[in-house]
Amino acid sequence: MNAKGETEGLLSGIRVLDLADEKASFCSKLLADLGAYVIKIEKPGGDPSRKIGPFLGNSAHPEKSLFFFHNNTNKLGITLNLENGAGREIFLSLVKRTDVVVETFPPGWLHELGLGYEVLSEANPKLILVSVTGFGQTGPRSQYRACDIVASAFGGQMYVSGSPSSPPLKPFGEQSYYMASLFAAIGILLALRKRHHSGKGEHLDISLQEAVVSSLEHVMIQYFYEKIVPTRQGALLWNNSFSILPCKDGYVLISLFQQWETLVEWMDNEGMAQDLKDEKYREEEFRRRHLDHIIEVLQGWTKTHTAHELFESGQLMRFPWAPVFSPKEVLENCQLKARGFFIDVDHPEIGASIQYPGVPYQFSLHPSNRWKRAPLTGEDNLQVYQEELGLSEEELQKLSSMNAI
Amino acid sequence: MRFRIIQMNRGILSGIRILDFTWVLAGSYSTRILGDFGAEVIKVQSKKIARGAESNLTGYFNHWNRNKRSITLDMSFPEAKEIVFKLTKRSDVVIENYSPRVMSNWGVNYETLKEVKPDLIMVSMSGMGQTGPWRDFVAFGPTLQALSGLTYLTSFPHEPPTGMGYAYADPVAGLYGALAVLAALEYRDKTGKGQYVDLSQYEAICTLMGPVLLDRCMNHEDIFPQGNHSKDIPAAPYGCYQCSGIDRWCVIAVFNETEWETLCQILGRPDWTREERFSNLSKRKENREDLDRFLEQWTRKHPPEEVVYRLQKGGVSAGVVQNAENLANDPHLAARNFFLQLEHPVLGKTVSDTSPIQFEENPWANWRGAPLLGEDNRYVYMELLGFTEGELSSYLEKGIIG
Repeated sequence: MNAKGETEGLLSGIRVLDLADEKASFCSKLLADLGAYVIKIEKPGGDPSRKIGPFLGNSAHPEKSLFFFHNNTNKLGITLNLENGAGREIFLSLVKRTDVVVETFPPGWLHELGLGYEVLSEANPKLILVSVTGFGQTGPRSQYRACDIVASAFGGQMYVSGSPSSPPLKPFGEQSYYMASLFAAIGILLALRKRHHSGKGEHLDISLQEAVVSSLEHVMIQYFYEKIVPTRQGALLWNNSFSILPCKDGYVLISLFQQWETLVEWMDNEGMAQDLKDEKYREEEFRRRHLDHIIEVLQGWTKTHTAHELFESGQLMRFPWAPVFSPKEVLENCQLKARGFFIDVDHPEIGASIQYPGVPYQFSLHPSNRWKRAPLTGEDNLQVYQEELGLSEEELQKLSSMNAI
Repeated sequence: MRFRIIQMNRGILSGIRILDFTWVLAGSYSTRILGDFGAEVIKVQSKKIARGAESNLTGYFNHWNRNKRSITLDMSFPEAKEIVFKLTKRSDVVIENYSPRVMSNWGVNYETLKEVKPDLIMVSMSGMGQTGPWRDFVAFGPTLQALSGLTYLTSFPHEPPTGMGYAYADPVAGLYGALAVLAALEYRDKTGKGQYVDLSQYEAICTLMGPVLLDRCMNHEDIFPQGNHSKDIPAAPYGCYQCSGIDRWCVIAVFNETEWETLCQILGRPDWTREERFSNLSKRKENREDLDRFLEQWTRKHPPEEVVYRLQKGGVSAGVVQNAENLANDPHLAARNFFLQLEHPVLGKTVSDTSPIQFEENPWANWRGAPLLGEDNRYVYMELLGFTEGELSSYLEKGIIG
């Protein structure tokens, strides 16, 4: 409880400096949403990830990037030029007052500026530095440039997504950034725990490529245990257990092997089971050998229903089926709404609030979600530089004229 | 049964004991991370449920359940509940990913467990969460991907949706589960209080759709699949290109004029690169179909490794589309010791990934493969709970421990 009698956030008291671009701004967002005190440090003029769309009103503007909005909730924002000597001095004084620094610069770049881990940990021996890069700090590819599609390709995600007749397909969005950010956030909490015992900080080295490989489910398992190289098989899941089929008004994801007899009975009641009623189909091995035919018959049936009918009736019979939702249907979803998943966040600049996807967990002792929108460029300079570091207005003006902040 | 008490690894989480009721992938992924870093994870199994993905001697099980202990306990016996109480008393965390009713039906939900262990941390991670009209719906990873918009958008335009070819929502929920446990432990250290966490796997995957959900919500325009292209990424060329060889591909992303200049130079400046319609980023984005076709004429003549090496050397983002075999033999991953060998008592030498969380000092020196079914019964029931030999055999005989 704080002085006002409010429960504090789960991670309140943990201080994070966020130097990350789009690759890992989600990492400190995860911590900020749980109550950590996060200061985002952008270079003067703003972080490059403000140029990534989508944009509010569909017009590119650094204060209207919905991508930036999403990844930077609940953070303070300051501008600081690390390429400037005075800027580096200020950075070091901030480092002394923090627990964690998250950065995404090319390996070696901070070191060249005189801000390598050795220097930072000398300033603050308890500091946890987290570096998130495409390929990690070491190894022959450490200097390669990376963005999401590069990490997705090198990490093995693309090769197994899409159709055999099409090019490999990158999963939608910036999945490698989010995976790396989740691993990095877990690493930070582990490092904090280690620090409780050792009193010492840590340099964590997170690679986008490795984050992707670690999320591949079957790919490495099939290779290491059976020497199988999994390929793309379109709408059919790798182990043929699910497929996406057309229905009256869209598409539905159907499991192909679970509760076979119930499924056939259901189809038969509507006169659409064809030869699937045959005894021989009761044997799973036989079904697996005649998958194409089964899918053909199933498809004839699913096309006579809406996705919603199949979903609702199927779920009542415990089939793990689902309609293939568009973003609009996700926003309108009754389950997400009932659980209060979306959070209204006030944006005074546009005179409205925006509905954000919240966090996926409800902690019984974490306060209900009251969120602050992402900072405007340099929005919290005064609070951080004056109130926290005690710089005078004159000093600030001087630093500003030197292009340090 | 072999009697094998192996000291679990002395990692960061040593001293933390986790009673693990998870199964298949999402929950097992959470406890794998915790076990990797030294927590003592006790996986509760039974002969009845140790099938399919939960069958101890499969590669799938070994991959996701390394560094854990296994006990058998048939929860359908009323006596099992009392044993769970005793185990909970000796644990820090209980974690489960059953449908919401299951733990309550066994009489071991948070309300009852916190009676025996007031500072207990319990994480439930069902498909839809513990509340809401869909709370009892059955969901696997692909189900949640379909419901999140990820499947719809991971598709080529004007073609039926394909989505990702595997259960991606499971690792996502698994990561959130591990994060939830660690955040709650952090809070317990500070305040002495445990708590209950209701994690929805559906919401977990939805958090990774953030920007597009904001886009649809605020801009009110329908959003269609774009294949490998993205209107939101300020790059052109941007995409996946065929290379020489069978099913070999590379990706290329050109963000600015310097990188475009480098690409043109590497291509040997063919005439098309000088065309007015490719002269700046927005024009290249506008004419990307022709641009991609020209670029692919070049990539088709070279293996992806060569294309990527040359482009990266010049400072252009590019990548090889790697398959399982490429990954297993990837010299970069090898240099970073990303894969390691773990001995398994039945499967023999097995290979596994280490962890993308790379500490300066890595913990995997004393990692071990997944446990056999009930391998740790004697350690847990006798050493930890103090059962006598007679009690243990009586429970075994009745099938309660079985």
